[in-house]
Amino acid sequence: METNEISKELVINIIRTVIDPEIGINIVDLGLVYDVMIEGRTIDITMTLTTPGCPMHGSIIDWVQRIITMTIPDSIVNVNLVWEPKWTPDKMTAEAKQQLGM
Amino acid sequence: MIQSSSIASSYSPPFSIVAKYFIAAILSFVMMNLMLMINYNDINGHHFQPKILSITHIATLGFITMIIFGAMFQLVPVVLEVKLFSTLLAEIQFWIYLAGVIGLVYKFWYFGSGLSFTLPAILLNAAMFIFAFNVITSMIKVKSWNITGTFLAAAIFWLIVTAIAGILLAVNLDHPYIKIDHLQYLKLHANVAFIGWVTMVIMGVSFKLIPMFTLSHGYELTLAKWAFALINFGLLGINWIMHYADTGIYNLIFGITITLGLFLYLIQIFIIFKKRIRKKLDVGLKFSAVSFVMLGISTLLGFSFLFFEYENYTNLTLIYGFMIIVAYISTLIVGQMYKIVPFLVWYHNYSGKVGIEKVPMLKDMFNEKLADYNLYLMLMGIALSVLAFLLQLNLLLLIGFATLFVSSLIFSFNMFKVFRS
Repeated sequence: METNEISKELVINIIRTVIDPEIGINIVDLGLVYDVMIEGRTIDITMTLTTPGCPMHGSIIDWVQRIITMTIPDSIVNVNLVWEPKWTPDKMTAEAKQQLGM
Repeated sequence: MIQSSSIASSYSPPFSIVAKYFIAAILSFVMMNLMLMINYNDINGHHFQPKILSITHIATLGFITMIIFGAMFQLVPVVLEVKLFSTLLAEIQFWIYLAGVIGLVYKFWYFGSGLSFTLPAILLNAAMFIFAFNVITSMIKVKSWNITGTFLAAAIFWLIVTAIAGILLAVNLDHPYIKIDHLQYLKLHANVAFIGWVTMVIMGVSFKLIPMFTLSHGYELTLAKWAFALINFGLLGINWIMHYADTGIYNLIFGITITLGLFLYLIQIFIIFKKRIRKKLDVGLKFSAVSFVMLGISTLLGFSFLFFEYENYTNLTLIYGFMIIVAYISTLIVGQMYKIVPFLVWYHNYSGKVGIEKVPMLKDMFNEKLADYNLYLMLMGIALSVLAFLLQLNLLLLIGFATLFVSSLIFSFNMFKVFRS
């Protein structure tokens, strides 16, 4: 079976469906996703969380992996959680800021 | 194909353990409010009375400490990134502790009965030592330490001091041996319990949870460190001087030190709130904000007690205790429960379904409107009760306590709804 090329835009749109259940905003608009690199069928995602020791720690990574592999079944997904650079509020999109009343 | 990520792993203990502690605590909270309401006639005058001591202990042990145990089993592994040493010990501790709480509350209630104070005190001490062992053994393995861990470690030390003071008081009630006033040791027991154990836990946890819930960023924790030093220094001092009949100027010095520490903490919390990104406070955080104001009022009241014989004024000690237990600690716990319990249940029931089916948002798991009424009724109940204590109006006290009882029922209904989600 021939598979289509995976685009960065597609991956970001898939990740956009992962919503932080406490804040109610998706993790892309929150500015938690730092980078998406695609090489063939391998997708490398670099992301952070708003604070170290966040109880969502393991889960958000699982969700990101699950949602991508559900949509693109033959992909290999690596999620790399980093604390540097530290997340700051200015990484949020204007829409997210507005939703939080900033 | 999924490859595991670098630092993702789950440290959380089984949900059933934490839930057990939380449910027992919620039931104790309703029970405490019921006991206040049906005994409103006995809640006046001196604080050393069977019914008041019984209610105080269902509040401090059955509600407050029970919830702290459950929360710490959940929080210590997550915040310090370490596995709990033993979930079996946490389970065993629960049953020993529950038996101790029921035993002590019952014995205070039926003060004159032939039962012993010492036996439930032994059970409570055993449970608390198991807790301390379990958590400290977990903490030893922590790789990256943080300020929350420091506060929690100190809190556990003070829990043990409270427990030992408690068992000594219990033995003294069965077989009097204390040469200095029993009430002076009771004061030590209470100070260490409320400031050393409960407040130290609240402080440590708040530095993690309040910024997480409000998305607060860009502040320093310098005042928090000063608060830690001052309060612990003051508490050590009080533990030393309380063994002497005349505490003289030292009581004043250590009292001022602790007051200063508590106010630095409140300023720190104010800074964190001020730097928050989520401007709108949800019901859980409204409760918390109210609680911090109540802590400020209680601290001022406690500070004023350094300068006059407060026990000569009818009901003033009761107002102080009521302010600490109900206005400061209970409002904070109720508020934080509105944040934590939905999260835990959500995590347990829905985390595996993200992306597969529609999952609820945390705030949809309880009735928000009712939670607002919960807050307003609790505030009204507190105001009416304090007024009734001041004016010594028994009927008004009944109305105040009844309002608080209704508020506790709303809270337990909402929590029940969350657990059923």
